[in-house]
Amino acid sequence: MNATACLAETMPAENTVKPVPRLTLKSQLDDMAALWPWVESLAAEYAIPADTVFAVHLCLEEAVSNVIRHGYGGQPGNTITIDFSLSGGHELLFTVEDQAPAFDPLTAPLVEDEPATSPLDYLRPGGRGILLMRNFAGSLKYERLENGNGGGNRLTIGFVLPG
Amino acid sequence: MQLSTQDMDGGVTRVELDGRMDIAGAAAVDMKMNLIAGSAKKLLIDLQKVTFLGSMGLRSIVIPARAVLSKGGKVVIFAPTEMVASVLKASNIDSLLPIHHDLAAAMAALQ
Repeated sequence: MNATACLAETMPAENTVKPVPRLTLKSQLDDMAALWPWVESLAAEYAIPADTVFAVHLCLEEAVSNVIRHGYGGQPGNTITIDFSLSGGHELLFTVEDQAPAFDPLTAPLVEDEPATSPLDYLRPGGRGILLMRNFAGSLKYERLENGNGGGNRLTIGFVLPG
Repeated sequence: MQLSTQDMDGGVTRVELDGRMDIAGAAAVDMKMNLIAGSAKKLLIDLQKVTFLGSMGLRSIVIPARAVLSKGGKVVIFAPTEMVASVLKASNIDSLLPIHHDLAAAMAALQ
């Protein structure tokens, strides 16, 4: 048997494309287009329900755009990694890491913390992302990394699968 | 992300959004939404075909809605899915942009 035939026999007949557990993005907002297909591939592999996929995408979009806009200050040429793992068979864990200066999104001020002086102030354009992450994530944990390369930030976002 | 508009009875402008209101979707509709808000006085934002709403997508709704309200107009949200509605509620913007699931009620709220 030649090598090609041997390889063909050991490969599954269908669905040979497995989702990768790590997504690496450049520090530019248009690179975030890769988020959706990656989350969708994980959703298909792990049978993640639609509402959880919605929450995952909401939180990852917010976490990554925060790193790009605030952590890296909108400067291209940097990277962000997102690692996926399934913990205990029922909790999805997404770990977002960067090499940016310290930025803890969990202690950033909320739009709600600013006093509203008129009813229209409730429609201020920004500052809702963190509020949404706190509402839609099952758990959020921030750590400052000191790894000798200038450090970085790690945000771990967890989602418990229903049932 | 698709956007279409329809002139309804009573001077109501219906804006139908269709697709994912993520960062890319928000960028695709921002300019059109702001143009519509520049002329509309009664705005019905139809979200029934919106499958995802993130914070950037929310911004694409909030900024034009604020523009209409600030000139004395009215804005309602129509028929969001359960998850999209939960984003609107978690952001506390449903107090100024009421959510309706019945078209007649939405139209009545704009009069």
